[in-house]
Amino acid sequence: MSQPLVLGVAVAYLLVLFAIAWLVESGSKRLGRIAGSSLVYTLSLAVYCSSWTFNGGVGRAALNGFDFLPIYLGPTLAFCLGPLLLRRILRISKANQITSIADLIGARFGRSGGVAALVTIIAVIGLVPYIALQLKSVSNGFAALTLTSPDPANQPFWFDGSLWAAAILTVFAMLFGSRSIHPGEHHPGMVVAIAAESILKLIGLTIIGLFVVYGLFHGFGDLFTQAATVPEVAQIFARSPEHYGFSWVGMTFLALLASFCLPRQFQVMVVENVNERHLDRAVWQFPLYLLLINIFVLPIAMAGRLLLPGTANPDNLVLALPLLANQPVLALVAFLGGVSAAASMVVVETTALSIMVCNDVVMPALLRVKPFGLEQRTDLTRLLLWVRRGVMVAVMALGYLYMRHDNAQVTLVSIGLMSFVAVAQFAPALLAGLFWRGATKAGAIAGISLGFAVWCYTLFIPSFTQVSPVAGFIAVGPFGIDLLRPYALFGLTSLDPVTHATFWSLLANLGSLLVVSMLGRQRPVDRAHAALFLDADNPAEAARIWRRTALIPDLQSLASRFLGRERTAAAFDIWARERGLDPATAINADAETVLYYERLLASVIGASSARALVGAIVEEQPLGVEEVMGILDEASRLIETNRALEAATGELQQANERLQELDRLKDDFIATVNHELRTPLASIRAFSEILRDHADISDSDRQEFLRVVVGESERLTRLIGQLLDLSRISEGGAPATLAPVDLVHAARDATAAMQQVFATRGVALTTHIDVRAAPVIGDHDRLVQVVINLLGNAAKFATPGSGRAELSLRRAGDQFELAVADNGPGIPPKHRDIVFERFRQLGDTMNGKPEGAGLGLAISRRIVAQHGGRIWVEEAPGGGALFRFTLAAVPAGPREDAAAAEPALLPAR
Amino acid sequence: MLRRTARRDRMIGLFVLGLVLFNPPVLNLFGGTVFGWPVLYLYLFGAWALVIVCVALVTRAAAPPEGDGGSS
Repeated sequence: MSQPLVLGVAVAYLLVLFAIAWLVESGSKRLGRIAGSSLVYTLSLAVYCSSWTFNGGVGRAALNGFDFLPIYLGPTLAFCLGPLLLRRILRISKANQITSIADLIGARFGRSGGVAALVTIIAVIGLVPYIALQLKSVSNGFAALTLTSPDPANQPFWFDGSLWAAAILTVFAMLFGSRSIHPGEHHPGMVVAIAAESILKLIGLTIIGLFVVYGLFHGFGDLFTQAATVPEVAQIFARSPEHYGFSWVGMTFLALLASFCLPRQFQVMVVENVNERHLDRAVWQFPLYLLLINIFVLPIAMAGRLLLPGTANPDNLVLALPLLANQPVLALVAFLGGVSAAASMVVVETTALSIMVCNDVVMPALLRVKPFGLEQRTDLTRLLLWVRRGVMVAVMALGYLYMRHDNAQVTLVSIGLMSFVAVAQFAPALLAGLFWRGATKAGAIAGISLGFAVWCYTLFIPSFTQVSPVAGFIAVGPFGIDLLRPYALFGLTSLDPVTHATFWSLLANLGSLLVVSMLGRQRPVDRAHAALFLDADNPAEAARIWRRTALIPDLQSLASRFLGRERTAAAFDIWARERGLDPATAINADAETVLYYERLLASVIGASSARALVGAIVEEQPLGVEEVMGILDEASRLIETNRALEAATGELQQANERLQELDRLKDDFIATVNHELRTPLASIRAFSEILRDHADISDSDRQEFLRVVVGESERLTRLIGQLLDLSRISEGGAPATLAPVDLVHAARDATAAMQQVFATRGVALTTHIDVRAAPVIGDHDRLVQVVINLLGNAAKFATPGSGRAELSLRRAGDQFELAVADNGPGIPPKHRDIVFERFRQLGDTMNGKPEGAGLGLAISRRIVAQHGGRIWVEEAPGGGALFRFTLAAVPAGPREDAAAAEPALLPAR
Repeated sequence: MLRRTARRDRMIGLFVLGLVLFNPPVLNLFGGTVFGWPVLYLYLFGAWALVIVCVALVTRAAAPPEGDGGSS
């Protein structure tokens, strides 16, 4: 076939893909719906299958048998860990607006540019061979199809297929990946185009496979039977315990890590993901795609071994077999499949790399250098796009140069594996960062750099075999030191170069990450940062760490330089609505708003650049040690909670004790009332029965019994009256009547009422009333009752026979003070409060209490309290108890005169 | 619907199963041909398909029916 025809078909095919992408992004509803589906997500993940799969897999199978498969079994295993590992990556990335794997690792380790830039540089260097692989594959295919020599050295450069491939793929990468700046780095058009390419890859390889198996042979059985006659193939099929060892395991492991560490996989799996639930289907659909695309790889390879023995380049078998059978159309389909695989890989990989380089290397550098005048430029979106396009061109140029240098001696798979080992260096820092808070920035830097250094030494530098010093370096080691030979470091000779490099580089990487993290000290603020980064999305929490304030117009103008004015305004409207702010009047941005803008910016220019830019216009308040500790130490939070719990428990215990006490009091009360009511009732009943049943008792006895019955009845009446009093007094807050009362008058009334009691008990009562009149406001009867209660107590407790009691009333300031003292046993200080409680009688309640139920003092205290006074007990001068209460005097005035005019009448009462 | 942790545990179990099935030394137990087909070819794709089917069953059991149009 002629070169222009093949070239024209390939370009036309790519243009069709671009048209699909353009339709999706220009808002076609039908295609837009497809773009958001889980099937497109799964198919876009199949960008994993580059021309390495399409052409290289067959080549590898033709040479080595089954060991093309670990590259696909690894991702299957990785996706088994989907719910555990990939979902976590997805969640954390979404919450932190991550735009690339460098951004994720950089953001985890303190948002400083260093780590992200390191990852980016390693990714670019590590992936150059991989991109070279795609160019080489396409140019090989082009050469095979046009029957020209694949070696660029034999051609003038304008016939160099790989240069054309590089140029065309670069243009398409720019068209797909850097047409405009989207917040969140979503490229729905690119994703749909890649999904379409994935379908074509699968169909292409399946058609070739079916053609080979059923067109060139009579089915699988025939093909395999014939192949088994070739001794080397028979050896591949044979059972041999030594056949697949460390290299198989090593490749599986590498592919497992690469399935989320490759920048293009990270781009389609995490950055382009629109719905987290798509992952639920992808965990089995993506491995299924890998299985389907690999079914025919071995049969095609076997057919190649049989029909084209001794082919110089087994990587071209997919094209060579249809050409052999004189089927140019099938060959063209195979070629387009290979172009699809290469194009999708190159487009996504360069897009991901350009985002990484732009956001994590170029922008931070430009922001640091003042003379560039970035401060003054109002619209930076164009600058961003051109930086990205420049990066794409540079990456492709590097790939082309590497390919030109690296001549056809190395198979596609070997080149690809080299890149796999390079990106696997991100895995320890990424995984430790995601699951271990103790991983430090220094540890991450040490691990990644050391792993990368070992990769360079054991794999990358030796790949420049054409440079003469390198050949000697491989053979005898640097300076002839045998132990340092790059393919047999420290004398490890039993492994192939890739497995060897995988082992040493990851050992060095993980080892230094762990050692440096564990030995180094992490600042509390860093640990707090790690905790916030990992603990889901909580802006309020994060805002606690960065207490930054700014002016909203400043943030607006900053954001609009990178996102454009309209997008920024729309984003702020959403935020303002969410927060209930008025967009027209809001001026001051709090910490959460600042964080919102930072994340908005991060979605376009990466976390570290966004941090630097926002940092320039905000006022940051230093974080106090206490806040850091508060955020940081779950332990301290727990202790606080514990303290609160303890306090609450203490209160509860007190309340419980109080309740138990009240319960006991209630029981006491009921028991006492029961006793106090039953005793008189029992005696009334007993004496009444005697009177009824014994008609012959003497009159004097009868009189005596009736006297007891009457006395007990009176006692009952009194008790019930007291109980009623108590409940009545406890109901209302104020005395029933409020009238001017003369306390002297009340005291005299009470004394008169109790005269008989004192006489009966042989207690001498004296009164000392030092005031002419004691006017207070209150209820006369109640106050009399209080005095009677106190006198009753005195009469009860005064020493029988020689008892003395004294009532005194005097003025103390603006109060009147009435005291009743006796010469009884007195009340010990610890009981001076509880005597005022209901039924609190000192001593044994069962004995020696002919009168009262212990309610007197409780009633008195309530009455005094209702009158706004105070009652208490103290020790009398003679040793007994002294009850004293005070009541406020009515202010001097006409009332005093009225009271003074009255005394003349008093004696008459 | 399975609890999330139950699903996670089953997926980890499948990961370990795949790890064992897809790698030597178990891999090296299979060799030779049966009815002309290489046994290792049948074994690898069979084990692979088995793991995929199991993953699909576990996620199917866990996920409520999803209402997105494109993949049905």
